[in-house]
Amino acid sequence: MENNLLHVEQRIKRYWYTDGIGELIGGGMFILLGGYFALQEFLGQNSIISAILQVSLIVVLIGGMALGRWLIHTLKAQLTYPRTGYVEYEVDAHRMKSRRIWVMMLAFAISALTMVFVRLFQAFDSIVAVTGVAVGLILVILRAKSAGLTRFYVLGAVSIVLGLALSVSGLPNGYSLGLFYGLMGLSFMLSGGLTLQRYLEENPLPRDAEQ
Amino acid sequence: MAEKLRALTEVDRLVHEPARLLLLTILNTVASADFLFLQRETGLTKGNLSAHLSRLEAAGYVEIEKTFKGKLPLTVCKLTTKGKKALTGYRQQLQDFIQKTSEA
Repeated sequence: MENNLLHVEQRIKRYWYTDGIGELIGGGMFILLGGYFALQEFLGQNSIISAILQVSLIVVLIGGMALGRWLIHTLKAQLTYPRTGYVEYEVDAHRMKSRRIWVMMLAFAISALTMVFVRLFQAFDSIVAVTGVAVGLILVILRAKSAGLTRFYVLGAVSIVLGLALSVSGLPNGYSLGLFYGLMGLSFMLSGGLTLQRYLEENPLPRDAEQ
Repeated sequence: MAEKLRALTEVDRLVHEPARLLLLTILNTVASADFLFLQRETGLTKGNLSAHLSRLEAAGYVEIEKTFKGKLPLTVCKLTTKGKKALTGYRQQLQDFIQKTSEA
């Protein structure tokens, strides 16, 4: 019986990912980030706009995450909650605050690293490899382990392979990073879109909306 | 041995009922869940689910609130501290019972 109850608990925790909306929105954010890096490359090092874009990366990242979170909740309220119900997960306030600080520090570190590599070492290609591995291991595979969903393992593998492939592609600085985020974004959106399509087909709106 | 078996009769019968045990387990995993989600997860009819939730609410194990998420009306259920303790206590009782009877 204890195993059955654990199985119930795991299924409940997986519910957040059942509609693919998180991946869909996350994918869109990745594509925008890819566009950001590609634009920087296009504008060149001596452009004032490029310099402004570089220092505003942290704002872009934090603003993007806030917008993404709002879009996810709005779409879930429109599509998911009326079909299969609403769930709010336990949030440890202290842990959430620590997590937000870590995310801000990570965003700042990514910004600083990007600026350092571009300006000083011209070793931009290694950024793509590191990013690919980081996204694959930290963001996706950890998610895959907690959710137990195969598609996250696949996305993690795609991220690592893409990052390594683009790092040796010989593409100009910035375009390889832009292409990484753009292609990963498309991968997320494809995965999320297919998941959402299947979810909507399997879960029509209940006739009786009254509870 | 009879005394060990008799320990099973001392479990909380409100929690022991399978549908209510499932409800409490689901609510223990989340901060809150609405009526539609609970109905789909348990497979209970609306009437049956309402009856079980009413009993749990009357015992103080569950809080039920009618609210809105944007424009969407929701009946949201939440496990109380008393309910959490009851569920934890029940699971411990069962584990002790299984351990004692397997030692016999």
